[in-house]
Amino acid sequence: MAADVTVISAPQAPPHPLAVFWHDLARNRGALLGLAVVVLIALLAIFADVVAPHAPAEQFRAHVLQPPAWVEGGSWAFPLGTDEVGRDILSRLIYGARYSLFIGISVVAVALVLGISLGFAAAFVGGLVDVMIERLMDLIMSVPSLVLAIVIVAIIGPSLTNTIIAVTIVYLPRYVRIVRAAALSEKAKDYVTAAKTVGVGRWRLMFVTVLPNCVAPIIVQATLGVSDAILEAAALGFLGLGAQPPTPEWGTMLAAAREFLQRAPWVVTWPGLAILVTVVSINLFGDGLRDALDPRLKRS
Amino acid sequence: MSRTIRGSVAAVSFAAAVLASTALSAKTLVYCSEGSPENFTPALNTTGTSLDAARPVFNQLVEFERGTTKVVPGLAEKWDISDDGKVITFHLRKGVKFHSGINNFKPTRDFNADDVLFSFNRQGDPKHPYHKVSGGAYDYYNDMEMPKLIQKLEKVDDYTIRMTLSEPNAPFIANLAMDLGTIHSAEYADFLMKQGKPEQFDQIPVGTGPFQFVAYQKDAVIRFKAFPQYWGGKAKIDDLVYAITPDATARYAKLKKGECQVMFGPNPADLAKMKEDKDINLLSQPGLNIAYVAFNVQKKPFDDKHVRQAYIMAIDKAAIIRDVYQGAGQAAKNLIPPTIWSYNDKVKDYGYDPEKARQLLKEAGVQTPLDIDLWYMPVQRPYNPNAKRIAEMMQADLAKVGLNAKLVTYEWGEYRKRLQQGEHITGQLGWTGDNGDPDNFFFLLGCSAARAGGQNLSKWCDKNFDDRLVKAKQIPNVAERTKLYEEMQTIAHDEAPQMTIAHSVVFEPIRKEVTGYKVSPLGRHDFYGVEVK
Repeated sequence: MAADVTVISAPQAPPHPLAVFWHDLARNRGALLGLAVVVLIALLAIFADVVAPHAPAEQFRAHVLQPPAWVEGGSWAFPLGTDEVGRDILSRLIYGARYSLFIGISVVAVALVLGISLGFAAAFVGGLVDVMIERLMDLIMSVPSLVLAIVIVAIIGPSLTNTIIAVTIVYLPRYVRIVRAAALSEKAKDYVTAAKTVGVGRWRLMFVTVLPNCVAPIIVQATLGVSDAILEAAALGFLGLGAQPPTPEWGTMLAAAREFLQRAPWVVTWPGLAILVTVVSINLFGDGLRDALDPRLKRS
Repeated sequence: MSRTIRGSVAAVSFAAAVLASTALSAKTLVYCSEGSPENFTPALNTTGTSLDAARPVFNQLVEFERGTTKVVPGLAEKWDISDDGKVITFHLRKGVKFHSGINNFKPTRDFNADDVLFSFNRQGDPKHPYHKVSGGAYDYYNDMEMPKLIQKLEKVDDYTIRMTLSEPNAPFIANLAMDLGTIHSAEYADFLMKQGKPEQFDQIPVGTGPFQFVAYQKDAVIRFKAFPQYWGGKAKIDDLVYAITPDATARYAKLKKGECQVMFGPNPADLAKMKEDKDINLLSQPGLNIAYVAFNVQKKPFDDKHVRQAYIMAIDKAAIIRDVYQGAGQAAKNLIPPTIWSYNDKVKDYGYDPEKARQLLKEAGVQTPLDIDLWYMPVQRPYNPNAKRIAEMMQADLAKVGLNAKLVTYEWGEYRKRLQQGEHITGQLGWTGDNGDPDNFFFLLGCSAARAGGQNLSKWCDKNFDDRLVKAKQIPNVAERTKLYEEMQTIAHDEAPQMTIAHSVVFEPIRKEVTGYKVSPLGRHDFYGVEVK
């Protein structure tokens, strides 16, 4: 009998979804570059204590406004130069990456949790709840985001935590709307009806059946949201409403150095570049993600 | 459209004519000012820009000597103060002429007591026909508590004015030298009232001053010419022109080219270049101001003077002066700047000594690290170019002696309100003097200002200090007052209710050919007595 057993080789398994995703992403060079830079910045932020040459708030009074090392008058003790009170700019940028990434990620995390809850509530409960949530989001979106953030910070006071709260509120509508739209379109599909007929409970239906199928647009939005949040937080910091001194937040650093634009341009240049590079990398990566995850954009 | 173009062409050619006349006549002085005045009636204004524009035209009963804060006779030749200090009699100068021919107005009489009555009653009497003209807000008059202080204002005869005060007030005379004491022509006011255009009174000024008004074009130029019959003698220059140039870099460019001889407010970044320029004299004088940090003595541990002294010693003031003021400031050891009389030079500043600070804190039983706060203004002030940067430097210095200062700020109006309520532990603020009287500074540490909401941000009420403050305000004798103020400075130094940071320095670049120009500690720009070679 044993000889009779024909070993049917299993049909070639479809590639794992992650592998497909990676394959799609890897075709996009820009996205890969963005990812690499983001990972590098994240590593710098995590290991700031080891990597940074100086403490971020230490003031070297003898070296105020010293130019970068390769410019005449600079020294390798302060590779990117020092700021208006003699703090090492490189160290501040490295520590600043912590704050910027932390702000970006926490804003997105909080906004995601709230956005998914509200979006699902709107989509599944419907009726008055839906109307109320949607109108509230319309209300938030009707005010320019930075203006709204300034108003919120003005009310609750400037600090890092409050910056996160303000930016979260401002960006909440996008998540709520995307989640609601995705949930509504998924809800009408046959597999959901099937799940309902076999008696799946409401919570399981929402989070186990529907949510995984809405994940792609949410991830794309979340990634791009990180860079938007970083920019918004930097803008608040620039206006003096964000992180308070001596926190080396990039936007705050940029604002403090404005008056030296002509005399000591490096003090302004580096934080500006840091914001630019981070935001561009995250956006490149986010665009790649969208290309890879969005079925409509997928090349087949 | 074409009319606008023609208008601007006219403006340009007019400006060119002004410049050409500069080149032709050596006796013209062009001042590059920073903005257009709102009007020419000083009592209505509070900005230096507007006040400066009216000053050439007018006089006060008493005036500040040019380049100082000393009060000298103006339209009043002399004045007597009664023994109780409440009645002041002004004897007015005779034969003082008003400008003639301006706005078709020809004065028929010399300056007399009616003009004084007019000038004060317009501000103080709500029923005065001119009180509501041009908005009728007399901020300075009200802020100096004049309505409360001046009980009676009488004309004794044509050349004698008697003022009765509700209480003796030594700085009162200096207050009259401020722009609120500007004397206008009552006859000119009547003349315009009869024509039914009283609002012109504030646009086309007639006064007794060394220069008479010629023309004003908004955002372009104000022209004056010397008044030949000026009671103090004709000015040494013939024409005075204010070339309105809002941008500091443009002003500097004009100064370099000789298009103006004196300029307002240089860019700090340009100072180094100005110093090197052979055609330019960079004048400077300590401003009449102070930047300080107030300790809230109602909050522990700052009720202990040793803690306050430790805080002061922990801070490297020299570094602040160097890096924040960038040379445009002078370390302050007293509340008043050295340009004010009664400055006590014997007071010795605490100096930077973190070691001693740590020791003092230990002796005072302060558990370090201690969390405190340090407030900083959200705006730039004349006495403080960057409060935030000072706060950051102080924060680093304080951390070294175990004081962890949290930096706090609010919107500017809110900031002052909360400080005056005493919500802070330590907070920065400052003061700019109005009249050069020491009382104008020292009341900031008095008991009556220590109430919640008062301007004494330290909430410090020291009997020794306050008794002297009240006494010095009421006695007229300058030597006695000087002694009291000097003692008060010693007390304030020992008790340390605040840390004085700096007096900022005012810079004024002028061209080499200008002689006799003096920088005013009050931030004024006076051109009488100035000559152009």
